[in-house]
Amino acid sequence: KPGDLALGRQPLPKKEADLFKTVVKHYEMKKYKKGIKLADTILKKFPNHGETLAMKGLTLNCLQKREDAHALVKKGLMNDMRSHVCWHVYGLLHRSDRNYNEAIKAYKQALKIDPENLQILRDLSLLQIQMRDLDGFAVTRHTILTLKPNTKMNWLSFAMAKYLTGDLRGAVSVIDIYLGTLTPGSPELERGFESSELAMYRNFVLARIPKNHMEALDHLEACKSVVVDEGAWLKGKAHHQLQLGMHKEAKETVLAMFRRGMTEDYAVHSAYMCCVLELDPESCERALVLKGTGTVATMIPLTSEQKQKVWASHKEELRPMMARSPAAQRVPLTLLEGDEFRKAIDAYCQKSLAKGVPSLGSDLSSLYLIVKNNLFVRALDPVDVASHPTYQLIVELVDGYLESLKKITKFSPDNENEQSPSSLLWTWYLRATLHQQVGEFSEALKLTELCLEHTPTAVDVYELQGSLLKGAGDIDAAAECLDKGRELDKQDRYINNLTTKYMLQANKNDIALQRISLFTRHEGNPEQNLFDMQCTWYELELAACFARKQEWGKCLKKYAAVVKHFDDFHEDQFDFHSYCIRKVTLRAYTDVLDFEDHLWGQPFYGVAAEGIINAYLAIFDTPATAMAEAEPDYASMTPAERKKAKAQARKKKKALEKKAMSQAEEAKKKNEDDQNGNKKKVASVVDDDPNGEALLKLDPLEEAKKYAARLVKYSPKRFSTWICQYDVSIRRGKVLMALQALLKANVLDPESSEIFTRIVEFSQKYPKVEGLHSTVKEVLTSESPALLEGKSLAEYVAKTTEHVRSDSLASLPMKIAVAEANIATQSQSVPEALSLVVDTGLKGRGVSTDSCRTALQLFKKYGDEAAEAKSEWIAKVKERYPLIASFE
Amino acid sequence: TKQTTKQLRKLNAACFPVSYNENYYREVVKRQNDDLNKFAYWNGFVIGAVCTRVEPIPESTNNRSRLYIMTLGVLAAYRGRNVGTKLIGSILEYFESNRNVGELTTVDEIVLHVQTSNDDAIRFYTTRFGFEQGEMVENYYRRIDPPHCYVLSKKLR
Repeated sequence: KPGDLALGRQPLPKKEADLFKTVVKHYEMKKYKKGIKLADTILKKFPNHGETLAMKGLTLNCLQKREDAHALVKKGLMNDMRSHVCWHVYGLLHRSDRNYNEAIKAYKQALKIDPENLQILRDLSLLQIQMRDLDGFAVTRHTILTLKPNTKMNWLSFAMAKYLTGDLRGAVSVIDIYLGTLTPGSPELERGFESSELAMYRNFVLARIPKNHMEALDHLEACKSVVVDEGAWLKGKAHHQLQLGMHKEAKETVLAMFRRGMTEDYAVHSAYMCCVLELDPESCERALVLKGTGTVATMIPLTSEQKQKVWASHKEELRPMMARSPAAQRVPLTLLEGDEFRKAIDAYCQKSLAKGVPSLGSDLSSLYLIVKNNLFVRALDPVDVASHPTYQLIVELVDGYLESLKKITKFSPDNENEQSPSSLLWTWYLRATLHQQVGEFSEALKLTELCLEHTPTAVDVYELQGSLLKGAGDIDAAAECLDKGRELDKQDRYINNLTTKYMLQANKNDIALQRISLFTRHEGNPEQNLFDMQCTWYELELAACFARKQEWGKCLKKYAAVVKHFDDFHEDQFDFHSYCIRKVTLRAYTDVLDFEDHLWGQPFYGVAAEGIINAYLAIFDTPATAMAEAEPDYASMTPAERKKAKAQARKKKKALEKKAMSQAEEAKKKNEDDQNGNKKKVASVVDDDPNGEALLKLDPLEEAKKYAARLVKYSPKRFSTWICQYDVSIRRGKVLMALQALLKANVLDPESSEIFTRIVEFSQKYPKVEGLHSTVKEVLTSESPALLEGKSLAEYVAKTTEHVRSDSLASLPMKIAVAEANIATQSQSVPEALSLVVDTGLKGRGVSTDSCRTALQLFKKYGDEAAEAKSEWIAKVKERYPLIASFE
Repeated sequence: TKQTTKQLRKLNAACFPVSYNENYYREVVKRQNDDLNKFAYWNGFVIGAVCTRVEPIPESTNNRSRLYIMTLGVLAAYRGRNVGTKLIGSILEYFESNRNVGELTTVDEIVLHVQTSNDDAIRFYTTRFGFEQGEMVENYYRRIDPPHCYVLSKKLR
């Protein structure tokens, strides 16, 4: 009907229809300008043609004209609501805006009109997997497979959909049906990468089915001939065998892995121990996923017989096989006892010192294991390290080396080998790290001085000295020391970055930027480059630096940058949905999906989110701080001072304005230059809000709530998540959420001082909250006593006080918290409460220059009443840490 | 290179009683002759260095020149291990294999100044490499005692 054509619904005449096809082709080939030209030709004749309008809009969108694009596509769609093309284009436009839910709706609309359009079905399935609409994904993939069953990708995608929706048997049978469609002799059935990956994926799914290791093991044998990833094949086999309790057979598999050259993989050594000790399936499972140098021997305390057994078999079976393997030499350190242990560690240290291994100290520190709940954990606190027999043994040995080296340049009098001069250097270095591990910074620094006299060009020593100075409480000196080391070799990126980090921690962000800029791209703004490189560690340190300076806007801005990176990481998976299936890297693909599902549980994200929450809470608690940057507190000044301050502020403001103006001009000029010089080049991004003013204008509690909720969802096992959640909830008056957060945190780490402080705070605060619903009150009265272990608040505080007093190793942060609680509940006088910290504070765990500073803040808080305690504390701390800076 | 001059400075400061100023290092970098200026590494760290330049023979009329060893230093802890010998040896070797190439074609001798009291150094050059002890230059150094030095030299052709 001619009317339809006028309205833009009619199919175009042949000539224009061909033109339209070319428009689509140009779009696909990314020849956008040509496409628009042709679209305009059609539109000249049929100005209302919906599909052409939509296509033109889509093409414009690729030329960064987002608004025009939206208008055109919408117009096109309005003109032709019955066209699947228009709906599809509408979906694509939303997709490019990352507005996936809208895009899914549009695609579904398009499919109503053209239910068998493969292109749209494929696009829809990608969005569904991206949004994790797994059931929808399965349905769409099934439709695609029915439409086109002769494509491999469609089978694999459907199998993946089955797996993701939890139908593991279904996934296996889809793969089997697919394999059944192949004619015998097809290359897809031969040994090769793709068939190998598919077989290993099938095996992976089989093993996921509960109690199905036998079938998985049989399948591994059956598919051996096609598998090229032999390492993974052997690992899988050993895993299945161990789960089935076939320890003897498993050992053969492990030995095959060693023969293949996997001798440096500690997980394989761990599997070997599982076989020798015939461990239960559950322990084996845990033993195979340990990180670093972890093995069964460092996971659980073994009995002497068990150690003997493993050692005997290691000596007999593995030693001859891998005489030169570093891992095989290190593993016995975790098995031997008594004199044999001493000899082994002696030899290990001597060898590494002669070689010059800077990481020897931290390598050895993983041997300081203590038993907790029948599991081994690393001793980290200086108190625990100092009392550890292995630590004491190593110190004794190293002191012996030093004495002997100085006299006869040998590690010991009965040693034959004359040592090179660098052995002395590295032995001093190791001794310094040992001092550091127990917090003896001054002693360690004396040794690093000796090192630098001996070899002033040793970069590693500057690094160690820097971290010693930092531990000793003088971050400025630490940063300076690293800078000296950095100057030795300005091409060393590692020390350059480390210097940057220390500069930030010393609040010298300007110098830090100069340092790191040496290694960013040299054109453009380095800050922008670092953002583009997603240099998260730098942004986190910088944000923390601004937080210390209470420049909340800039601080939030940097944290927001990190959050943006994570959003980008999430976005980045989009390309993998089709790529991984096409390349048949299905195992890696499931890893990617799993990673993305837990993306916001990553530690770096947690740091950023907590930083944001704390910044907003600080702004909420003292709203003035956000403004303080602009307006000093005039009220507290004398008139003369006020006048001066105001004049200064005016001057400052003027200077800032001038600077901003000249910067803007420069940017403008640069932009013009860019455009004149090279039109294709995208104009450099100019940040119009470098100080994060926009972020400061948001409602602080709302924002904090948003991030706390995300942490609760993605990092529920992180202690600090619940602390943040509590801090936010209590300020929002959400008593029940606060209570829940406390209960959760209390399960994760009942001994933390942070939880204790908050329990006390909560118990004091919630009875005063008014206007609570009666059911809320009921829950509170029934649940909150659990926090105080059924005691009254006073009893609870008294009990904890008693507990801390009687435990000679109770941590300093806990003592601080207890003292504060006693004062807050008026259980004790201020001096009485503070005596706990002053008298025993430096003797227990958790003592560092940081926690000493926290204690100092406590004393300052109580003013005159705490004056005596304060000066005594300062004296004691200065005796322990003579180098501590600005501790008054 | 420019990036590592600080290492040379540290090394020289630890080895010599005299300190060299900024200009000295700038000159070494500018000449960029990796064969005449070398670091000695021990287990990854710089522990010794030699800096040499080609300069015209003073008061000579026929455009002849000489190799002049400006500094040779090895950290105290690493002496007696032939590091210095290797450094000087590498300079001499470089000369031998390039004696008729570029600026080395006019070089006749290799020369250095040594403090009169530095017996070890004098013995090092004369016995190991056959340098000859020449005239004494009085008051060559300004801030150290004794301020005099000898000229050691060896004919190269």
